Amino acid sequence: MDTSLFLVQLLNGVQYGLLLFLIASGLTLVFGVMGILNLAHGSMYMIGAYLAYYFTTLTDSFLLAFLISGTMALVIGIIIERFLIIHLYKRDHLDQVLLTVGLIFIFNATQSFVWGNDPLGVEVPELLSGSIKLTDIVEYPVYRLFISLLCLLVAATMYFTINKTRLGMMIRAGESDRAMVENLGVDISKLFTIVFAIGVFLASLAGIVSAPIVSLVPGMGEHVLISCFVVVVIGGLGSIKGAFVAALIVGIVDTYASVLVPQASSMSIYLLMALILLAKPQGLFKN
Amino acid sequence: MSIFSSKSEKIFIYLFFAIGLFIPLFLEGNTFYINKFSTIIILSIFVMSLDYLVGRTGLITLGHAMFYGLGGYIFTILAPEYEAVNFWVYTFYVMLISGFIALIVGLIVLRTSGIYMIMITLALAQMTFYFFADSVEYGGLDGLFVYIKPETSIFGLSFLDLDNETHFYYLCLLSLFNCFVFFKVIMNSSFGRVIDALKENPDRAIALGYNIFHFRLIAYVLSSSLAAYAGYLFALQFGFVNPSMMSWDISATALVMALLGGLGSVFGAIIGSFMYEGLHYYIEHLTEYWMFFMGVLIIALVLTLKHGIAGFLNALGGKRS
Repeated sequence: MDTSLFLVQLLNGVQYGLLLFLIASGLTLVFGVMGILNLAHGSMYMIGAYLAYYFTTLTDSFLLAFLISGTMALVIGIIIERFLIIHLYKRDHLDQVLLTVGLIFIFNATQSFVWGNDPLGVEVPELLSGSIKLTDIVEYPVYRLFISLLCLLVAATMYFTINKTRLGMMIRAGESDRAMVENLGVDISKLFTIVFAIGVFLASLAGIVSAPIVSLVPGMGEHVLISCFVVVVIGGLGSIKGAFVAALIVGIVDTYASVLVPQASSMSIYLLMALILLAKPQGLFKN
Repeated sequence: MSIFSSKSEKIFIYLFFAIGLFIPLFLEGNTFYINKFSTIIILSIFVMSLDYLVGRTGLITLGHAMFYGLGGYIFTILAPEYEAVNFWVYTFYVMLISGFIALIVGLIVLRTSGIYMIMITLALAQMTFYFFADSVEYGGLDGLFVYIKPETSIFGLSFLDLDNETHFYYLCLLSLFNCFVFFKVIMNSSFGRVIDALKENPDRAIALGYNIFHFRLIAYVLSSSLAAYAGYLFALQFGFVNPSMMSWDISATALVMALLGGLGSVFGAIIGSFMYEGLHYYIEHLTEYWMFFMGVLIIALVLTLKHGIAGFLNALGGKRS
């Protein structure tokens, strides 16, 4: 592999890793604050992508589709939390698993009912459809750079929100001592709704922005969910910093493995996870 | 000492197996329904192994289908393609090898518990799924075919012909019965009591000198190799194995069935499997989008029924301690 190809793969790996971070951060945030493992998180990614497809074809504008789908994701998040997740706070892990599996079934059936089972695609918005010349022969698509930048922006916003704002303070407090936060007069149920909606929004956002570079197929949500689990397990459940580092590692390892050892590429990240678990059962950044 | 934990359970088990014995007579050679029953009975064995593991140890796995699939693959890979091997010998092989794999996997996953274990079991099962899905040697997504079914002679005597649907049905029913008795005996043994104690109060069990890890590992290995046995029967019934046998939704659906029946009750696994599959079969005929209604059903179930149907029956029949 020559240097330029190496560089392109590195960029791809980082871009994939950042996208994984976007999804995994929602999963880990919801778990960290609310103690809920949302298996339907991947379905939100799928729904985001399909909504982006739907509104892009409807409005002919990716930007409009982006805004509408994002808002809808927030609303879906609020509805699910208010009507279903709210019953889970005093239940055990198993009930969480089953209820969110039920949600996956519902979302998958809805997707197949509304959009059918044939692969769909979204065109890259015109403004971002060009390529940048890295060297004389190697080019890199602008849209992928856009995704990476957007993800970095989200990561920075999350860092700022969690560490510097009042909402972030409540989130951090909710993570360490839920009962105390409640006693101090914070409306914990409202906080939970907000956090869950943000989690759903992050997953859908990833789905929306990746719609132009992936093909939309049934089951795309589960595939992403499981990669996210690997990220979250490696990074340490509940740790957003851990998710960031782990997502980059997973993204880069996965990308290089598919170039260097194509036969074993789909197994590489799981092997990585198993190795890290043997050394650190709680992940790299224990929360 | 009776192996039943309640009168209702006793009545249910007697009724179930009594009716089960005569089902092929009622169906008068209607092979479609006989096969359907065999399939659900095989599923019941798989769900029962999961029901014991999750319900009794309290450890939740979302990757149990990995062993279900492995059971099928181990047989198909090991057995020579065009030669009838001995069923019992290969039962032994399948359970031994899958048990060994479960031992290795258990050493990794049992280092964790709770949410972590859910995610890791799922990820490892998915890894195995991709291993078979990507492997050219093992047929990729199409899987492998079983061309010749095993013969079943013991010491030269053969009672069962696996190509005959009714014979195969009885083999499945017998297997389910053995599986039920096996788990019931375990639950009532001193080993089973330690397992219950670990779930009830792990700290006290540790203080009493029990090694949590060893007991959990044994339960994990036993349960996994029975799941593999169910997968082996599946491979024999349908004549093929493919990676979709170990996809995550098989694991998740099995959990739903176990919950539907009542976790940890063992006999509830039979109720759960039959109810879920019955409903599935019914709704599938009404609409292509049956998953939607199953999803709604699962959510309704989680929100309302805490101890499953077995719990309801046990309460009804007066629980014996």
